[in-house]
Amino acid sequence: MKAIEVNGVTKQFGALKVLKDINLTVEKGEIFTLLGENGAGKSTLINILATLSAQDCGTVKILGLDPIKQGNQVRPLIALNAQDTTFDAEFSGLDNLKLIAKLRGIQNIPAAIDRVSRQLDLTEFLARKVKTYSGGMRRRLDLAMSLLGDAQVIFLDEPTTGVDPKNRLALWQMIEAIRDAGKTVFLTTQYLDEADALSDHIGFIRDGVIVKYGTPAEIKQRVTATYTITVDEQQVQLAQQLLNEAHIAFTNTNARFNLHADVAAKAMSLMLDHHINVLHYDRDEADLESVFLAINDQENNHAND
Amino acid sequence: MQTIKQLNALTARIVRQNLTNADTIITVIAMPMFMLLFFVYVLGGNIATAGGAGSATTYLRYALPGFLLLTMAMGSAYTSLRINNDRTSGFLNRLHSLPIPRWVILGSHVLASLIFMLLAELAVFVVGLIMGYRVHATIGSVLLFVGLSMLFGLAITLLAIPFSLKADNYASAGGFSYVLLMLLFVSSALMPTKGMAKAVQIFADHQPMTPIVNTARKLLDHSVSLSHNTSIIAGIWLVAGILIFAVLSYRVYAKMYLTK
Repeated sequence: MKAIEVNGVTKQFGALKVLKDINLTVEKGEIFTLLGENGAGKSTLINILATLSAQDCGTVKILGLDPIKQGNQVRPLIALNAQDTTFDAEFSGLDNLKLIAKLRGIQNIPAAIDRVSRQLDLTEFLARKVKTYSGGMRRRLDLAMSLLGDAQVIFLDEPTTGVDPKNRLALWQMIEAIRDAGKTVFLTTQYLDEADALSDHIGFIRDGVIVKYGTPAEIKQRVTATYTITVDEQQVQLAQQLLNEAHIAFTNTNARFNLHADVAAKAMSLMLDHHINVLHYDRDEADLESVFLAINDQENNHAND
Repeated sequence: MQTIKQLNALTARIVRQNLTNADTIITVIAMPMFMLLFFVYVLGGNIATAGGAGSATTYLRYALPGFLLLTMAMGSAYTSLRINNDRTSGFLNRLHSLPIPRWVILGSHVLASLIFMLLAELAVFVVGLIMGYRVHATIGSVLLFVGLSMLFGLAITLLAIPFSLKADNYASAGGFSYVLLMLLFVSSALMPTKGMAKAVQIFADHQPMTPIVNTARKLLDHSVSLSHNTSIIAGIWLVAGILIFAVLSYRVYAKMYLTK
């Protein structure tokens, strides 16, 4: 059984189509990241998955259950951590945690609160009113409120937005710890480095469409695979001449020739046939930022065509 | 049993929010107290309520029931504010993602609103007692007054819900309460309607607040004469209001939050 299955989901608000035929699956025990800019449809999808909203078309399953028809069975299995922190700032952190624990029907409330407050490094602040907390502490408290109980699928909607780098790193570690505890994390973010560092799988969403889906490595490979051929410095001019004559596009810095994956093998054999001394033949590692830019370029080109 | 615990937990949260917020206490409890003191000791002597010359004592006896309902009406603004705050902060979304029966979420707001309104009403009533007001009624009548207060509180709480859910911010969420206050001012709550301008008097005599206030006054003071019709009209207004506002609230809430 998959943790999350989304098939052909669409959602429209008035004339605005926010989600267009979304398909994705999330395995149990993995971190799936939905990556996209503001307004791409991330929160709309998370609201559907978290039983807050119904899709117009398509099907959704959470651990095999329909969030709309079987919402009462789904809700004990999920936890939602929304973009905005939602607590009573005039109450203490402990009061806020107690409220959620009571609502979740947790039997041993002190033990459950002790566990999450240790996990999120909140223990010493629990007695203080939340209005005295820093931004990072507030975010950790909000996450602690979501982690109370025994939810199996945790939805984290941009949990690190507006969080300073130190707390962001701490939140990353906590998200990984959730996954390591066997739970499934559905994360949305605008941060490429976050998706790259945490995700088992990533879906790029743009204008309500998932334009790329895969592991971080697969996505990097598919979108921007380039190769670098390094030749003997004495033979740079000859190599340039050969590539130009063969109409192979390249860029080069001194003896390093950068080529697209489609033509890299042809360029390599051409050089070897002409006895050019190839010192290195390397596949370049792309970062997600370049993937993101490439996807945007591709989509913009499609739009212009 | 778990549902009752959830209802208790959420209701206690909202009551506590109200009782620990200075702005709420000032507006809903202190302000009606101040108005009661002002009307009784500054204006009361000049308002003839019992046919003869006015006095602070006779005015207090006449006006206290009206002030009690006025207190509840002021409380309804904070009912709306609390719900709106939960909606705009995303707290309602968090609650809807938890394993809680849907009715408990707004039900806790309704229950908390009634509890807070009754507490505020009690506080103003105690001030009235200190000022010299005496109940001339049986225990049964007093209990009926409490029942009437609860129906009135329920009606205005249900009226507050659609405004709280639709308003963009808390400032506009409580705006409807000014209409309630205006209806109370242009009724028999604070002075008899017979001295009002003719057109205003016709309006005052036929709008819902007048029979409700008159019935409340009768229940606390058996010496006040009142036709049965007035009580029946008050009951019809209250029941009709509760039904209409409940349907309206449910429709707005369902459109926003109930996925099926």
